[in-house]
Amino acid sequence: MPFLSHGSYRIRYELVGPAGAPAHVLVNGLTQYSELWGAYCEALSARGFRVATFDLLGQGGSDKPRLFISQDDQVAALGLLIDALGDGPVFLSGISFGGLIALRYAIEHGKRLTGLVPMSCFAELSPQLLLLGNALRTGLILGGTSYLQDLLLPMNLSDQWLQPLLDKLDSVKRQGWLVNDVYALQNLMESFLDFQPLTPRLSEIAVPTMILNGEFDFLTPRGLHETLRVEIQNSSLVIIPKAYHAFTLEKGTLTVDLLARFAEDVLAGRWQGNQAVWVAPDQPGGELTPFPAGYDHLRAIPVKRALP
Amino acid sequence: MSSFLGPVEPDGRIPPYQQTRVAAFLISAHGALARQFAFKLPARLDAAWQTELNAQFYREAEIVSLLLRATSWVLDPSLGYMVASWESAWLPAPVEGIADPRLAQMIDLAALAHAVHAGIRPAALLPLEADAQDPFVMALRRIEFESGRLLQAQILFLKGADLAPHRDAVSAALAQRHAGVRKLWRELLESIGIGAPPA
Repeated sequence: MPFLSHGSYRIRYELVGPAGAPAHVLVNGLTQYSELWGAYCEALSARGFRVATFDLLGQGGSDKPRLFISQDDQVAALGLLIDALGDGPVFLSGISFGGLIALRYAIEHGKRLTGLVPMSCFAELSPQLLLLGNALRTGLILGGTSYLQDLLLPMNLSDQWLQPLLDKLDSVKRQGWLVNDVYALQNLMESFLDFQPLTPRLSEIAVPTMILNGEFDFLTPRGLHETLRVEIQNSSLVIIPKAYHAFTLEKGTLTVDLLARFAEDVLAGRWQGNQAVWVAPDQPGGELTPFPAGYDHLRAIPVKRALP
Repeated sequence: MSSFLGPVEPDGRIPPYQQTRVAAFLISAHGALARQFAFKLPARLDAAWQTELNAQFYREAEIVSLLLRATSWVLDPSLGYMVASWESAWLPAPVEGIADPRLAQMIDLAALAHAVHAGIRPAALLPLEADAQDPFVMALRRIEFESGRLLQAQILFLKGADLAPHRDAVSAALAQRHAGVRKLWRELLESIGIGAPPA
């Protein structure tokens, strides 16, 4: 198990796929651990990509700072991993908290990236997200990691995914519960106490950016992704049908396909952001369709977009 | 080496020799915290934060009491030496860079409590086959759960604005206590056939 060193901290990482190939770097969400990207590593490397995964500071096999975790340190750790990949093309994807870290890296080191994919992401804490985050933190403090998982599973995954697992949720939660410590998760959450919105700096991101948002994501709803689409010039927003916040877990094969196609299109010079809004196919390999012209993609019901 | 306790007995119990050593360690650590909290606890509370000292004292004592009753004890001749080494590790330690001895003592105690509550996860040692209705299994789960709550007092104190000017000293004290507690915990687990803890 290889480690990178950032000051006195060790960061566990893994590289899969052919050396020298264009790379996908995948950044975990808050309660994730890098093994959850296992299927992505396999599928993306089969399509000719190198894949880099790692545990953020405070997660899984990486060091867990005891009192404070700075988001600057997370960005620096991500930078070390990207540096370790050499000079080839790098596509950076991150989900939720990991998406935020990816955005920060793209703002500060955008020239090193070939493409960026923020997923279930946000650049600022809306009142809803702030209050939800506070409530989740209180849940963690009072009920431990298991209770936090109990809250997140039904918020972030569909009935279709949960139904067959209802009688074995303990086994679904077990690995995440084993590798994540209460104090470390709490430190990760409290790294937002001095959070400054990224929105004013999003326009500095010039790299091709595909923003992925689950149709039914209410933890980080459409409006938060819309901020990214509007502020990042070379972006497009892709809505994943019938998906919630944790669609990378629930719709892994579709997400892998979207990541691979995005990278292939960018490398071939075919990709155009145009701040367009798309609807992803239900299945991998299907066509993306433009969001119906004239309708408001921020609404859940078909409302005509207000003319400027 | 396994990452978990066991192999469990046919009735789902953790082997008594493992129960004995794990419980002895936890009683030593939480008992030491209970004693130290008791010494810091004034007969009459004159500050709001001291209510937490009272709560911590009784909860640590409850953990000790619970383990005494829930553990299937066996005779373990090695325990005498091990307990002596543990007890010496819990003794108050100086905190470099803090001139006020009272404050230094409070930081050291909070650092020790943080290391015990955050660094030791006894429930993470339980294998899937362990009987959830067994008192020892339930006790380990309860202790880990309670530790997460007890830890909040240490987090609030150590991260608090009052200690902000002493952040380096606090971090060093915390690192030292974590390293010491984890080393003892790791050695204990190795002595009962458990390798790298799963968490």
